[in-house]
Amino acid sequence: MENIKKLILNVVPGAVIENKKIFTVTVEPNKLHLLAKTLRDYAAIPFDFLVKLIGMDSGGKLGVIYMLSSSTDVSKEIVLKTWTEDRENPLLYSVTDLFETAHFNEREIYALLGIRFINNPDMRRFFLNADWVGFPLRKDYDANPELNPLSLDSKEIVDIAPRIMETENGLVEETVNIFEADDYIINIGPQHPSTHGVMHFRTALDGEIVKKIDVHSGYIHRGIEKLSENLTYPQILHFTDRLDYLSANINRHGLCMCVEKAAEIEVPERAQYIRTIMDELNRIDSHLLAWSAMTNDLGATTAFIYGMREREIILQMFDKICGGRLIINHNVIGGVMFDIYYDFQKDVKALIPYMREKLVEYDRFFSHNVIALGRMIGIGMMSKEDAISYAVTGPAGRASGWSCDLRKHQPYSLYDKVEFKEIIRNEGDAYARYLNRLDEIEESLHIIEQLIDNIPEGEICTKTKAIIKLPEGEYFQRIEATKGEFGVYIESRGEKTPYRLKFRSPSMALVSAMPLICKGEKISDFIGIGGSMDYVIPDIDR
Amino acid sequence: MNSILKYFNGLFTGIKSLLIGMSVTWKELWTKKVTQQYPENRATLVISDRFRCELTIPHDENNEHACTACGICQMNCPNGTINVLSAMIETEDGKKKKILDTYTWDLGMCTFCNLCVITCPSDAIKFNNQYENAVFTRSKMIQKLNHKGSKLREKKKEQPLKFPEGGLKDQVL
Amino acid sequence: MLLEFSQPLEYTGLANWFDTTLGSWSLPVKLILVAVALLAAYAIIAMILIYVERKITAFFQARIGPNRVGKYGILQSVADVIKILLKEIIHINNVDKFLFFAAPFFMVVASMLTFGAIPFGKALQAVDFNIGVLYVTAVSSLGIIGVLLAGWSSNNKYSMIGAMRSGAQFVSYELSAGFALMTIVVLTGTMSFSEMIAKQEFCWNIFNGHISSIIAFVIYLISGHAETNRGPFDLPEAESELTAGYHTEYSGLQFGFFYLAEYLNMFIIASIATTVFLGGWMPIQIHGFDGFNQVMWYIPSYAWFFGKTGVLIFLSLWVRWSFPRLRIDQLLNLEWKYLLPINLVNILVMVILVIAGLTLTDLFPILAS
Repeated sequence: MENIKKLILNVVPGAVIENKKIFTVTVEPNKLHLLAKTLRDYAAIPFDFLVKLIGMDSGGKLGVIYMLSSSTDVSKEIVLKTWTEDRENPLLYSVTDLFETAHFNEREIYALLGIRFINNPDMRRFFLNADWVGFPLRKDYDANPELNPLSLDSKEIVDIAPRIMETENGLVEETVNIFEADDYIINIGPQHPSTHGVMHFRTALDGEIVKKIDVHSGYIHRGIEKLSENLTYPQILHFTDRLDYLSANINRHGLCMCVEKAAEIEVPERAQYIRTIMDELNRIDSHLLAWSAMTNDLGATTAFIYGMREREIILQMFDKICGGRLIINHNVIGGVMFDIYYDFQKDVKALIPYMREKLVEYDRFFSHNVIALGRMIGIGMMSKEDAISYAVTGPAGRASGWSCDLRKHQPYSLYDKVEFKEIIRNEGDAYARYLNRLDEIEESLHIIEQLIDNIPEGEICTKTKAIIKLPEGEYFQRIEATKGEFGVYIESRGEKTPYRLKFRSPSMALVSAMPLICKGEKISDFIGIGGSMDYVIPDIDR
Repeated sequence: MNSILKYFNGLFTGIKSLLIGMSVTWKELWTKKVTQQYPENRATLVISDRFRCELTIPHDENNEHACTACGICQMNCPNGTINVLSAMIETEDGKKKKILDTYTWDLGMCTFCNLCVITCPSDAIKFNNQYENAVFTRSKMIQKLNHKGSKLREKKKEQPLKFPEGGLKDQVL
Repeated sequence: MLLEFSQPLEYTGLANWFDTTLGSWSLPVKLILVAVALLAAYAIIAMILIYVERKITAFFQARIGPNRVGKYGILQSVADVIKILLKEIIHINNVDKFLFFAAPFFMVVASMLTFGAIPFGKALQAVDFNIGVLYVTAVSSLGIIGVLLAGWSSNNKYSMIGAMRSGAQFVSYELSAGFALMTIVVLTGTMSFSEMIAKQEFCWNIFNGHISSIIAFVIYLISGHAETNRGPFDLPEAESELTAGYHTEYSGLQFGFFYLAEYLNMFIIASIATTVFLGGWMPIQIHGFDGFNQVMWYIPSYAWFFGKTGVLIFLSLWVRWSFPRLRIDQLLNLEWKYLLPINLVNILVMVILVIAGLTLTDLFPILAS
């Protein structure tokens, strides 16, 4: 860390460095790009993985917080901050050329906080319409519904993107056309069988071949981050289940861990066991659905139903343990809400051999099918560099040869006590992503197997204060959800509600990579690649 | 020659993989079907004890409940689903006392997060297993939970477990 | 008496009765009656097929399938038909109205025309062409015009892609299907269905030409399956990509026509395969086992026909619900790199077999009928 400090002060002498839990550097806006580039190219530990990009309204100033990590060791973290005083026309410098994942995130920040980024090639608002009045995440936002009335008129989609570019003559505002004039554009979504939710891809086709994809999102954006600013921490918990509903328990676990860490609440060991087992069951559940949905995207409806059949067993277990199937609602701050039920261990132990048997069946049925192989091998290639640049984590990132499993690199709960393999493949195609999920089911079974007999007796939840207040400060938490890294950022000002809450959604990174990896593929493969990436829309539209 | 070999090799491995796939579906043709026939299986349908359907205030045989109208559940509800109206009455010994007047709960707004139940200091509310709660109008979703003429249970009785069929360690927070 | 059941028209003497009572009007009346009977059969077979497919699919997928309308959901397709008849036909702006309305009829007429030439049983054939095979091949390929028109006239980009895919698919697979049938024409030396069946009394064509016939049979099943636009060859519809492909914009009865034609095409392909390869309505006959043969004849010929066709339809369902959908280039690869070359070699092999006298009937003359 001393080396990095020296490096930073060398490049940006005016940088303010704070040695908090996470190394934090604050710089002037015009120095940020330089600093990020230096850190990204730092040979010893390249900080080339942009974990989170958080827009902030600190009351007076508007700013952006970047959390960088290293692709060689994802447990290394560094936080960069930059602020602007200008609230009328806030401008900051884009880092899209360094980290591709910044592109969508900067557009999101523009929509929600009104900060525009110089040099971002496409500065349309993400999530919100171009004519939205006000910037919702600003503290002085006027939420009066009359300002943004519900419109029943159909609006033409305008494929023209404004942007601000830095040229020799200073800043130039210009517009670019997303598509060429005579492109054959089809709208895949917002209502389409294979977008896995309310996603909208405007797709330019050249015959059967995908020429360009333009992602439109926000059809089900609920403003969870804004809503959370008025809710207490226990109340916020129920939102996490509704982000990526397929890894509901893991998301909630992440938020609980963040709050527990901040409030210094000790979680009983029994609760840790239950949480870990539930997380892994949730992972199996999610991967089964991913497998099913992908086979369905490729046209094998029967496989879809087989996957759902096995998933049902896990859902019933969830139902019995905490009364929820999809919205699991199990973790609470300090532990878990419900203890395991009497036959839980028996049920889980019955599930493990059954699931293994079914994995063999899936293999026989689909994994070696000549048609399926033809539709997955070599399709949707994503190199390791792209995966890192687009911050594609989870099974998809690991299929590109990037070791990014936080359970290994930054073990939480009981993951340092159990033995499991991190599944890494180097092919980077749809088939590698597909196989990664099936193998991760096996690893999850292995983890559960090690824990299920050793659940200690004891409390399931620490008694917390009636009103949980977090001490002033910033809190980061990262957790390995089923689609990739789920992140929580809380800024607390000592109140019972967070000042700013931000979720890092793994699906957003997955979708941001879609235009890259689908380019030049056939339209049927575009659907198949979508299945192999396995994104969940509510996770993007927070 | 090599390419011819490859051609036929590809052809036969392809056919083999297809036949293996067909053998899987053939086997499944004879397996037990998993469909649950819902209205018919009502009698045997097991709903897990912890499944949250409708919020209730359990009343005992004397039409008494445990709700003191403190409003903690209302405060804790993230969506404003619960509305507790209290009334002031004067007890026999002349003290003023707050009692429950109307307890309304909006099924349509509820996200079933269970916060109200786990924060209730007097264990007065719980979710039941009444899972068939489809109604024709939105207004029917707003339910009044305290029975007519019910009153606060005077002396504190032994509290039943919220999920009685729990077994080994079935306690809630 | 059972024997007579297999030829219901002769048994009841209906045909003679018409001749005697109606005199010169007998022929037109008979034609109309046959047409009505065929139309009815067309609808009923489609309804049965829809039910059967839904049930079998469900069983493959560990489900029960239709079970609400009638016992075991047996009336499900009746309910579906009523529903589809009552449904509104939604008029869509900006379509080529004439072509849009004409397209479903092309589909139905094409499959209807084929229907007439299929021998359902002994003497149960509307028209016995002497070039039956050629006729069926020619007429069944008319259906593609319906698909193309539907895709084109809908003025919908999804439909358009579906229709274009369909065009490529039909043209390719029609070739293979035709060649596979020609292989058998080489073997039997006739194009008439009735003669083909007669020649298969003791030795079905699939055994007669042994290796070559079996290859032709498999190729015919694959390409026939592809022609019906059913999974894994359902690219023109490709639900997960193109929502519903060429019939996205159709509703009500118009959609019903496409639906009907799809099921009927499946039946037609299976019945032609039965007739050409599996002896059609001919019961299983073993030379020399007269008693056994007699017993086999007690089962009516149409039962044999529907039984054999049913087995082939089951096979097609089995395939459909086992495999993922092909991509367009895989589809064309399969045809042009595998099926067509194999087919061409196969037809040559068949010619050699026939000329060299290596077919089963040549080797064992007792098998010839």
